[in-house]
Amino acid sequence: MAKAIMYDATKCTACRGCQAACKQWNELEAEETKNTGSYENPADLSYRTWLKMRFTEVENGNGLAWLFTRRACMHCTDAGCVQVCPTKAVNKTDSGIVYIDREKCTGCGYCVEACPFDVPRLDGSRVTGKAKMFKCILCKDRVDNGHEPACVKTCPPGALDFGEREDMVAKSEARVAELGDDALLYGDKELDGLHVLYVVNHPLKDHKLPVNPEVSPAVTLWQDILKPVGYGVVGIVAGGLLLNYMVARARMVKAKEGK
Amino acid sequence: MTHHEVEKYSAGARWFHWTITAAALVLAITGLFLYVPAFSSVAEGGATRIVHRIAAVIFILAPLLFFLMKPGRSFHFIKEIFSWGKDDLAWLKAAPDYYFGGDEKKMPPQPDMNTGQKLWAVVAFFSALGFIFTGIFMWFLKDTLSAGVFDWMVIIHDLCFIVGGAMLLVHLYLGAIHPRMTESLKSMVKGKVSAEYAQSHHGKWYKEVAAREAAAKGTPGGQGKQQAH
Ligand code: HEM
Ligand code: SF4
Ligand code: SF4
Repeated sequence: MAKAIMYDATKCTACRGCQAACKQWNELEAEETKNTGSYENPADLSYRTWLKMRFTEVENGNGLAWLFTRRACMHCTDAGCVQVCPTKAVNKTDSGIVYIDREKCTGCGYCVEACPFDVPRLDGSRVTGKAKMFKCILCKDRVDNGHEPACVKTCPPGALDFGEREDMVAKSEARVAELGDDALLYGDKELDGLHVLYVVNHPLKDHKLPVNPEVSPAVTLWQDILKPVGYGVVGIVAGGLLLNYMVARARMVKAKEGK
Repeated sequence: MTHHEVEKYSAGARWFHWTITAAALVLAITGLFLYVPAFSSVAEGGATRIVHRIAAVIFILAPLLFFLMKPGRSFHFIKEIFSWGKDDLAWLKAAPDYYFGGDEKKMPPQPDMNTGQKLWAVVAFFSALGFIFTGIFMWFLKDTLSAGVFDWMVIIHDLCFIVGGAMLLVHLYLGAIHPRMTESLKSMVKGKVSAEYAQSHHGKWYKEVAAREAAAKGTPGGQGKQQAH
């Protein structure tokens, strides 16, 4: 059954307990960071930071809004990363988790470019191309054993929840109704359904969440059109050459016999 | 059968040909592991990528080196593969009958490179440029490119693979397997072909060679050595 995380931005205090819990459970090293005049830290996701909180300051009619947004893999149903991965090292499980089997990963980085949310990160050498991809795997090891993800378990104000996706959608909808006004649910329909749902009460663009995210048409052209066309072209050419060989040889033998 | 042979490819040209062939085959095979999901498990460790990159360096350096060593010959080659005329059209029309049936009557006499060889050279030239251009982006500028541009680079790389790869199959077949191309492979290995083969396959070129040979024989001190192609 499909599972989902629900993130309620209206309850989030940006304590970043989830960020720390993620590092702890997945045994990810800390990063040396710089003070950039914001609590936001580190500046971006990396191969050893799979989850981080984004801080955004927006001026609107009522003054300044200080927004927090969870940033990690969205576990998309229509996942660009899965479509382009040559070895299917990134793959989808029945529970909707987009998992990465690092043994199989070739480090090509195609997934990095195909993700509409800019999530996967490579660790490796630019020159040799030897690399592996890292991203949130929704604590698959914990979920498979009946536990909630580490971030959800740790969240003090209860801004994160985890369960059957249906239940999480229902709970999110109820929460949106309760908040009223500008509140909305993000992730229910996007990319055929994300497995991380967001409840927000500010415009999506203020949260820097892409409105109508989509897998780039170039990815579709490349994977669904060009690749099959390639097999077709090579097949036809190879078949033509085989035919040519048989005909040309038969005619040569015949010509010799005729002499 | 006379045992008279004429030189078709110089040692430099043959070295260049086989170096770039080896590099291209290695590139094609290591690239195939990413292209075809069924073979992709071979690419898992990332070793094929390193091989792809080493071969890519050879693939880029070989033509540069040849150009530096033989600029005149290189320019001549480029000029030749882009010179197309009436004879080429006639060749294309007559080619199916010849390659299937062996009907030589309609084939116009060809210079040292026939129309088909020129066609292959043009495709190889452009796909090599495409591979190198997009490959360098995919290799070094991955982080600088926007995601959309990167996808297009891989798409063009793949397009070159499909078009160049299909033509490479035809080239390998005609050079080494087709029953009538008896001395094509030999010409690129040993550099020489028999006078008969030169006459029937590259009539225009053979005429020039024969004339030059005759002139050299007539000239006192002439060694009978002709310009190699
Ligand atoms: C005969 C020439 C070449 C052939 C046949 C070839 C073929 C291929 C193929 C089939 C792929 C896989 C594309 C996919 O996943 O759909 C690939 C990937 C790639 N090629 Fe090439 N290629 C050639 C030359 C080059 C050159 C000259 C360079 C570099 C300057 C290069 C750099 C790359 C890079 C960086 C990738 C991306 C995947 C990776 O890093 O492993 N290629 N090539
Ligand atoms: S957010 Fe990106 S990495 Fe995660 S499943 Fe979607 S496409 Fe893949
Ligand atoms: S980097 Fe790894 S996970 Fe990403 S597409 Fe390439 S092989 Fe798949």
